[in-house]
Amino acid sequence: MSDVALIIEDDEDLASIFAEALRGVGFEVEIVADGQAAQEKLKSSAAPFLILLDMHLPHVSGADLLTNIIKKDSRFEKTIVIITTADARMGEAYNEEVDFVMIKPISFVQLRDLTSRLKPKS
Amino acid sequence: MNSLQRFLTISSTDPDDTRRRRILNILVASVAALSLLAMIISLGSVYLKAMRWENVSLIVIGSLLTILGMLLVYSINTLFSGRIAAIIFLIFLTIVFSLSDTPAQVSGGRSLFGFSIPIIMASILLVPWSSFVFSAISGIIVSVIALSIHSIPNSPAIIGFFVIALVSWLSSRSLEHALKELRNINANLDQVVVERTKALAESLERERIEAGRSQAILNSIADGVVVFDTEWNAILANPALRSMLELPIDQIVNKNFRDLIEQPQLSPNSRHLLYAMMEHDTQPPSFRIEWENKTLSISAAQVYDHSKEKFTNLGTVTVFRDFTREAEVEKLKSTFVAIVSHELRTPLNAILGYAEMFKEAVYGPMNAKQVNMAERIMKNTQRLLGLINDLLDQAQMEAGKLTIKMAPVRPSELLDNLHSVMDQSAQDKKLKLTSEIDDQLPEVLNGDAARLHQILLNLVNNGIKFTEQGAIHVRLFCPFENKWAIQVSDTGTGIPESELPYIFETFRQVEGTTTRVHGGFGLGLSIVKQLVNLMNGEVNVRSKMGAGSVFTVTLPLVIPEQNIEKWRIG
Repeated sequence: MSDVALIIEDDEDLASIFAEALRGVGFEVEIVADGQAAQEKLKSSAAPFLILLDMHLPHVSGADLLTNIIKKDSRFEKTIVIITTADARMGEAYNEEVDFVMIKPISFVQLRDLTSRLKPKS
Repeated sequence: MNSLQRFLTISSTDPDDTRRRRILNILVASVAALSLLAMIISLGSVYLKAMRWENVSLIVIGSLLTILGMLLVYSINTLFSGRIAAIIFLIFLTIVFSLSDTPAQVSGGRSLFGFSIPIIMASILLVPWSSFVFSAISGIIVSVIALSIHSIPNSPAIIGFFVIALVSWLSSRSLEHALKELRNINANLDQVVVERTKALAESLERERIEAGRSQAILNSIADGVVVFDTEWNAILANPALRSMLELPIDQIVNKNFRDLIEQPQLSPNSRHLLYAMMEHDTQPPSFRIEWENKTLSISAAQVYDHSKEKFTNLGTVTVFRDFTREAEVEKLKSTFVAIVSHELRTPLNAILGYAEMFKEAVYGPMNAKQVNMAERIMKNTQRLLGLINDLLDQAQMEAGKLTIKMAPVRPSELLDNLHSVMDQSAQDKKLKLTSEIDDQLPEVLNGDAARLHQILLNLVNNGIKFTEQGAIHVRLFCPFENKWAIQVSDTGTGIPESELPYIFETFRQVEGTTTRVHGGFGLGLSIVKQLVNLMNGEVNVRSKMGAGSVFTVTLPLVIPEQNIEKWRIG
């Protein structure tokens, strides 16, 4: 199992904070800032260990990526999916479909602690 | 017959006068006819040589004179005065009877009866008491005739005249009284008929005016109104509805509601809503439908006839209101809220994240002052986020977008979450935050965990904000059956009595100046109140200046079905 964490987040600062948290835990971090790019990336690359998916993305929404690719493709069966959203109701709506829902504002410490528990001990 | 009636009848304002003159005419006509008959018979018998002229000449002349006299009486009666005519007629009759026989027979024999005729007639043709006058006249005439032939006046006959007069007087009087009463009754009846007719006419007129007014109102209001009978046939629609739906009147009125619902302009979702409205007796107060590019708000009310003992359903009045603009504004508002929600929170999230990274010394060790500064950045950012959340909640509530989602909730978890978030804030002000759960409270109950958490958070936050020393105590309990309550008490400054009614208002803090001391928008309690309302509960406050405040939120107690048994046993 790879230890790649894919961050799909259009806000540069948030992406960088999330990346720092995940790197701190020991993940190899890749960042995609756009729904379209994320779609291509997901289709072409190997399945990452963890996806941190923002639900509000330009071009292709996080919800579309989730339902049309991640949930459909068996390659992502074992991938841990965490969605991030500012809308608590949206978070509730996808609660059953993903492993974790994080409501913005997302704490650096919170994300770091959560992912450190998820990461397999190497 | 009519011409005879016309010939006999004399119009007069006094009905008694009319009656008397009519009777006089009948008598006059009869006497004239009799005289005419006598004259014809006499002349006939002379012509047939049965009689000689010398024998009948007196009869013929007398009859002729009588006919002329009757014509005169008739003329006076018809043209001048019934009374004078009657007097002349009666005197004429009396004279005729006085001369009709030999003086001996007239004063004491077979012709005496003749005088009774004018006496009786007098009571009918004149006033009732005039019988006595004519009985007296007859008495005098009889006495004079008796004396003229040197005989004694016939006193029993004279007394008899008076007796006849008495009987005539009595019967005429009672007849007149009876007639008078009858006339009165008739007059009253007429009066009643006149009054009733007038009242009916007035009420019809009022109804017409009322109906006209209602029609005018219906025609001029901007809302579309359509009235359905119990079978949902449209029986009435106003012009506003026609222009709102852009349909000709014949496509609405006299059609069943189903025909309208099946129109292609209606969105499928709206069609579903309208069918639901038709099928259920209890409708929501109002709902919206999409008609072409319009948004219409619909409210329907059943019409009942309260006049009868049993309420009868007469149909449904449905009011359509053009809600297009409002719907657009609402959509804009909710888009705005969503944008603000995202655009404000994202950078704040970034600030928070970077500050945390400082605090966690991600890029190398930090000294105590730097950590403290990072903490201050974090704390202020959290505050700002809290304010934004309050504003967004408020905006959502105003737009009616905030909904309550019921799910099983553990009260103990609510308190755990509260402590995890608020303990630090209480400690910062050296306050104690304590909590308890009463035994009667079920372990699991139905509620919206996130919103209940928000209520608790806002109340405790409020308590901490206005308390300088002491404690904030949270208690969850059952105040009475089917209710549960959240009580937050503090040992703070308290709220002046004059301000108590206003503390749940939006953007309100006690005394304008405290806003600056305590910070915040003053939205916390307002949001609590609105959330509690959405949950069908109520919030109360008791407070004493200097002795703190007690906020109590009372909510309906609903236990999740799967927990009911457990709770009963427990």
